[in-house]
Amino acid sequence: MIPSRLATVDLAIGYPGHVVAEHIDLAVAPGEIVAILGPSGSGKSTLLTTLAGVTPALGGRILVDGIDVTRVPIHRRGIGIIFQEPLLFPHLDVVANVSYGLRRQGLSRPEALARSRELLDWLGLDGYERRSIDELSGGQAQRVALARALAPHPAVLLLDEPLSALDVELRQRLASDVAATLRREGVGALHVTHDLAEATMVAHRVLSMSDIALPSRSSLH
Amino acid sequence: MAGRLGHGDGPLNTPRWLNWAWLLPAAFLAVFLAYPLGVLGAHVSSAGGAERLIASSTWQVVPLAVLQAMASTLMALIVGLPIANVVSRYDFRGRALGQALVTVPFVLPTVVVALAFRALLGPGVPQGFALVVLAHAYVNLAVVVRIVGSQWSQHDGHYENVARTLGATRWTAFRTVTLPMLRPAISSSAAVVFIFSFSSLGIVLLLGDSSTRTLESQILRQTSVLLDFPGAAASAIVQLVLVAGVLAAGTLAGRTSVRRRMRPTSLLPVPAGGSARWAVTATALFSYAIVAAPIAALVVASVRSAGGWSLDWWLRLGSVDVGTTRIGSPLAALGTSIGFALVCALVACVVGGLAAVAVLTRGRTRVISLLAIIPLGISSATLGLGTLLAFGRPPLDLRPSGLLVPIAHSLVAVPLVVAVVAPALRATDARALAVAASLGARPTRAFVTAYGSILRVVMLASAGLACAVSLGEFGAASFLTRAGSPTVPVQIVRLLSRPGEQSYGVAAVLAVVLVALTLTMVLLVDRLGPSRRRPAVAT
Repeated sequence: MIPSRLATVDLAIGYPGHVVAEHIDLAVAPGEIVAILGPSGSGKSTLLTTLAGVTPALGGRILVDGIDVTRVPIHRRGIGIIFQEPLLFPHLDVVANVSYGLRRQGLSRPEALARSRELLDWLGLDGYERRSIDELSGGQAQRVALARALAPHPAVLLLDEPLSALDVELRQRLASDVAATLRREGVGALHVTHDLAEATMVAHRVLSMSDIALPSRSSLH
Repeated sequence: MAGRLGHGDGPLNTPRWLNWAWLLPAAFLAVFLAYPLGVLGAHVSSAGGAERLIASSTWQVVPLAVLQAMASTLMALIVGLPIANVVSRYDFRGRALGQALVTVPFVLPTVVVALAFRALLGPGVPQGFALVVLAHAYVNLAVVVRIVGSQWSQHDGHYENVARTLGATRWTAFRTVTLPMLRPAISSSAAVVFIFSFSSLGIVLLLGDSSTRTLESQILRQTSVLLDFPGAAASAIVQLVLVAGVLAAGTLAGRTSVRRRMRPTSLLPVPAGGSARWAVTATALFSYAIVAAPIAALVVASVRSAGGWSLDWWLRLGSVDVGTTRIGSPLAALGTSIGFALVCALVACVVGGLAAVAVLTRGRTRVISLLAIIPLGISSATLGLGTLLAFGRPPLDLRPSGLLVPIAHSLVAVPLVVAVVAPALRATDARALAVAASLGARPTRAFVTAYGSILRVVMLASAGLACAVSLGEFGAASFLTRAGSPTVPVQIVRLLSRPGEQSYGVAAVLAVVLVALTLTMVLLVDRLGPSRRRPAVAT
């Protein structure tokens, strides 16, 4: 059996006094993209922020490469995240955005630059290294966000509807690029969306929130 | 677009006199601003011109003032940034109170703040650099909290989440992402605090020593002690140039990147537990405490005498023997100040109001509403000295008329009146003008129908603001006040320059009265101000 890059065991998510979903069990293999479909309010985004460590888990365990990271702080989990908006740091140029995580890992500037350039080239952004992020189109900005998230070699990438702000043609192109890049990097990815078309475009497996979790008793009321 | 018809052509059917509204403000600015500044320049050039500027003893003061202003700015940022973070981003009971409280020091007269710091820290604390820096940080807290807070409240916290998933600790994410993204707001507020501290007078006079001289205090010293008018004029011009330079640099640094996701302002819940919750609560309590402590100390000082509690100083407010005959009674000073404030309010409302209604006209006359903002960038000592040189000496000595102080105060207040009135007029639906006209109203009648109600409210708010400015103003008044009839801030400084518990106690009483009057005016402005009113919305 292939070891999971990301797994949850009986995970409960929500906020103090309000459980959004519980008994969440899921597993993501290396290079695999799992899409989770659900209407807004079903807890998709809470699931992502809980996995990333922004929101504390209410119960259960989160495993990255078999290691329990439930109580590990955000910056040491090895989980990357991409939001609907690229959220590129506006005070840094393209290559400095991509190098950000590598510099935090202690890589020297030349090492970080080499890895960043390689990723940008792969994503068709060679020559954009020194551009200001104000000069990028929406699709280019989302590619830079992908390069930035993948640069420090995360085990898992979380995608929060990263394509929904783009037009249809661009979405299809970027979706296949994302899939190819994740396969190449051997990263497992969890993609949440309310859009079935976007889910099938990117993912190997499509699950609904109700497949992986039992809604909490409080949300049934 | 609300406020105008015909896309910038100006509203139709405006009364004809509106096209001549700019004349009075233009004449006022020409006579009381441009002419005195011209006289100031002439004084420098007649006394050696460029050499005077280069060789001026002024340049010995500049490094001291720059160092002091930099330290004050740094201190205001260190104290202000955590408060800005808490009061602008988190939702907790008492947040609105906290926001209002941090604004209080900014509206207090600087002389009052200086006295409050003396009262708080006691006579044992030596005057000088540290005390001046602390007081400047206190006064300018609101600048940092308001300017940085408004940007911080719209900052998307997901930027930090992204940084943290990339391996940044909480502190690194703050240092490498939050701070640089807030940099435009921080730079703008820093430039403003720097200018206020660099051109500070009241606080420097009462809390400083020889290491904290500013160009303002230098101008006052050159004028009143050394009687070196050309030297003072040179200092004033150096100050004008430096302040303009810092303002320009601040504006440049304040420009923001286009690609920046702003989140609609919505408040975060206070973190549920742990160190974050503790930090938010502690910062909120700290902000209440540092704002309230000096004012509380001032009130206490006004009711303490001979080691016990008493109302002695309050009861002596009307007696002449508290002052020497030269100083006059505290109550008389209060009367003088209130009288000046009323004249200032009248002049500033007429001049500022006419400059503001010019925004409703078509064509070039609208420029007057921009020109009327200029006095804001000119220090009060420069205004005072210029007015003194132009109108306070033979052959034209207007000092006996008692009008110079309120005129100088009006110059300070006019930009604020324009800033309150012009946006309110712009936001008013001009179509009422056309409706009234179609019903047979003559242009002036139609104008009153359309703008009368909003004008009544904003003019009252402007009058309150002008009164508050005049009551607390010290710089210009210290040049222009006649010896026998000082304003309250001048009286406070004179009392404090004399030894004795009585002088100090009565000065504290005057300061408490000034706090009460100023806060009443500011509350009035806040209740009536345009921000509280919903502009008429075009449907």
